[in-house]
Amino acid sequence: MILDTQLLYGLVGIFLFSLGLSSAFASSALLRRILAINVAGAGLFLLLIAVAYRGPEINPDPLPHALVLTGIVVAFSATALALALVKRLRETDDD
Amino acid sequence: MTDSLVWSIALPLSGAILSVLLPRAANGIGLASVLGSLAAALAVIWTVADQGPLTYAIGGWTPGLGIALRADGLSALLLLLSALVAVAASVYATAYFRQAEQRQRFWTLWLLLLSALHALFLAADLFNLYVTLELLGLSAAALTALSGQREALEAALRYLLLGLLGSLAFLAGVALLYTGYGSLDISTLTHRLSPGLTGWSAAALMTSGLLIKTALFPLHFWLPPAHANAPAPVSAILSALVVKAAFYLVLRLWLEPFASLSTPELVQMLGVLGAIAVIWGSWQALQAERLKLLAAYSTLAQIGYLFLFLPLILETSDETLRHAALGGLLLMALTHGLAKSALFLAAGVVQQHAGHDRIAELRGTAQALPATTFTLALAGVALIGLPPSGAFLGKWQLIAGALQAELWWMLGVVLAGSLLAAGYVFRLLGHAFGQARYPARSLSIGRQEIPALGLGLAATLLLGLFSAPVWSLLAGLAPAGGLNP
Amino acid sequence: MTDVVWGLLDLLLILALLALAWGSLNSRNLQRAVIYFIGFGLLLALVWVRLRAPDIALAEAAIGAGLTGALLLAALRDASHSPDHTDRPDRAWRLNPVPTLLSLGLAVALGLAYLQALEIADPQRLAVAVFSHLEQSGVSNPVTAVLLNFRAYDTLLELAVLLTALLGIMALGQARPAYAQAGPVLAGLVQWLTPLLILVSAYLLWIGAHAPGGAFQAGALLAGAGVLLRLAGFPDSHFPAALILRGMVIAGVSLFLAVGLVLMLVGRGFLDYPPAWAGGLILLIETAATLGIAATLMLAFLGGRPAAWSLDTSTTGRIQAADMVRHNTGDNP
Repeated sequence: MILDTQLLYGLVGIFLFSLGLSSAFASSALLRRILAINVAGAGLFLLLIAVAYRGPEINPDPLPHALVLTGIVVAFSATALALALVKRLRETDDD
Repeated sequence: MTDSLVWSIALPLSGAILSVLLPRAANGIGLASVLGSLAAALAVIWTVADQGPLTYAIGGWTPGLGIALRADGLSALLLLLSALVAVAASVYATAYFRQAEQRQRFWTLWLLLLSALHALFLAADLFNLYVTLELLGLSAAALTALSGQREALEAALRYLLLGLLGSLAFLAGVALLYTGYGSLDISTLTHRLSPGLTGWSAAALMTSGLLIKTALFPLHFWLPPAHANAPAPVSAILSALVVKAAFYLVLRLWLEPFASLSTPELVQMLGVLGAIAVIWGSWQALQAERLKLLAAYSTLAQIGYLFLFLPLILETSDETLRHAALGGLLLMALTHGLAKSALFLAAGVVQQHAGHDRIAELRGTAQALPATTFTLALAGVALIGLPPSGAFLGKWQLIAGALQAELWWMLGVVLAGSLLAAGYVFRLLGHAFGQARYPARSLSIGRQEIPALGLGLAATLLLGLFSAPVWSLLAGLAPAGGLNP
Repeated sequence: MTDVVWGLLDLLLILALLALAWGSLNSRNLQRAVIYFIGFGLLLALVWVRLRAPDIALAEAAIGAGLTGALLLAALRDASHSPDHTDRPDRAWRLNPVPTLLSLGLAVALGLAYLQALEIADPQRLAVAVFSHLEQSGVSNPVTAVLLNFRAYDTLLELAVLLTALLGIMALGQARPAYAQAGPVLAGLVQWLTPLLILVSAYLLWIGAHAPGGAFQAGALLAGAGVLLRLAGFPDSHFPAALILRGMVIAGVSLFLAVGLVLMLVGRGFLDYPPAWAGGLILLIETAATLGIAATLMLAFLGGRPAAWSLDTSTTGRIQAADMVRHNTGDNP
């Protein structure tokens, strides 16, 4: 059962990662590309947290949890910078 | 002395933090912290030469639970290159940015980029490497956008997004390795990894992520616009070091954790991509109409040379051949780092002086900017690989190794690449030395021209004439197979 | 029996998660795509709870869904102002065969690799090492122990990443203008919510040592309060003076680095806390980090530099500058 949960959520994470990655390469619109990168990142986080899960009785492995927390903040930073670049590009178009 | 590992990262980081608070003093803070970081890098290489590889367990925790910093000959040499180029480009930057506000913005991001580079060269933990890669990618993209011009913004955004995709692929590999082998520490993984689907997938993901970042053909398309539109000192560090940092990681990973996974076909394929990059990059540089674009395409070619070495290093059981090739690779990388930063800094002077960098209209540059034109020539000598530059010795090793390994096609690639390089360098110098009818008065911009000249001289003379220490530093690095428990 | 219930719950969660992800990647309308993405983030927070990762759930809801969502919505609002340059929705979605096949191939290959990885793995991985050293870490929440002690260096660099993003944004241009003053209902709501968010954030910071919570969750909530105030029309003129603002932004990373270096200079080693002091030092660092994270996230939401960021606008800023200089040279070794 533990392995099943690990397996199930881990595979969903991998699927989201692949989906996000290919959408990021396929789409041309900037905002969509940024969304896709975020979905791909979330997929990886799901994979890591699934690996950390060790059943309802045993405490999960805290190491991947810490990595994912770091990852979430890094992903936010990158998204914020990318969106600011998009905003600035739009403003230069308007000028 | 192992504290110097920490200082080489902490000094630029402290400088960045301080200059957020005291932007008016940014010039002083920035110069002080890059000089301090150079001193730390010198201490690192001195200690490595004296005592062999260094490890620093941060927080006192054993690597695995905690994070370690590590320096061996390979990382110490690149750290020193980075600190050296950073000092020259920083001095240059104090005069390059004429607007106080822009200079202040430059300094904070610049110092963050340097901390990221140094942290990357010294990292011994895969997740820590992911964080340094993101720090590097974000600061590099922000610096590329600094001018606010449309082309620069577009290039920066593309650079940022592709860099993010590369980092994600890298992180996916790290997650798989942690799942299968339960560690993030590189040397632990080197002992544990064995051929299998987990290792292969992780290796494929991490390597392709890094190939995007190092701009190996055919993943190179983002590089020319980014490097050609960034401010000159930024272009210098991007071309000289940031792409090489990703290459360094490819080399490090395949020398250590992935050593047992390497196959002749795979390594040959990387070599062939390198060969295409050499020819394609040099050909594009020959066609380039702008000086900075020429320099950017030439970087693609130079990265290609580094990949050409991989078959000689990763797929040989002959220890002397391997050691010779590794030294040759490092000489190429170091020479290119110095020469390309010199070229970009000189290009910045030309651009500021002439108001443009169109190669065909550079007539009279030699009369107006003799020192800078001399720098262009020195950098050109090193890029072609003429003696006495370090690149000459590097190419020599490449040819010698290829002959020994009977990889004949490499000879043709090196020959063609060098001829094309001679072509684009002499085309540039031909225009720069053209006589203008009304030459502008001879100028001297010491703080910009001297650092560029210094880098150019170092590229042509220093490494070629004093190359022995490079080999002795690399002795004993990652013996064949990498599988000694 | 409970297994069946869990299984059904898992299935429902996963289907909803996949549907929202699919929607956010493929919806024709960009605005809808963003809404789906926010929903995806919120659902992900539930998944984290399901997988017993409450620390991540809090961070995901606040940062992954909340603040990222606010950023995306603000970006959409910018786009709607210049109708000619909106991101054109991709045409009616057709299954583009090449990327679809590639993504399926990638998913299958990675899925197989994952299966093999689970099979060869020692299921303990590093968990044993973390739990057996937990007592020496100064805190009893294992995630906080990893973040602020065992792998504190990662967290330090992560704060540097956040700072880099903010400085990059500040270098790009002016902030979005302040929003219109909110009507009485929203203003009243914000008046209630802000102190509540500040309280909860302080609680999360304090509790982080032994229960889910910590600097990132607390900082994100505090930033959420700031974003709410901004949305309710909080004007630029209410920002603190430039030097204080800058001091807040670097608070976390500078104190963290200073603690690390001081410990090295006194001969212990970089970030090597004396065990007796570890709890106190971690709380100190986390408090500064909360402040820094909150200020950074809030400013990042503005999409550019507000007038208050520039040091040259006021003379009062300069007087405070002199004060802060004296204050800060003491902190930095």
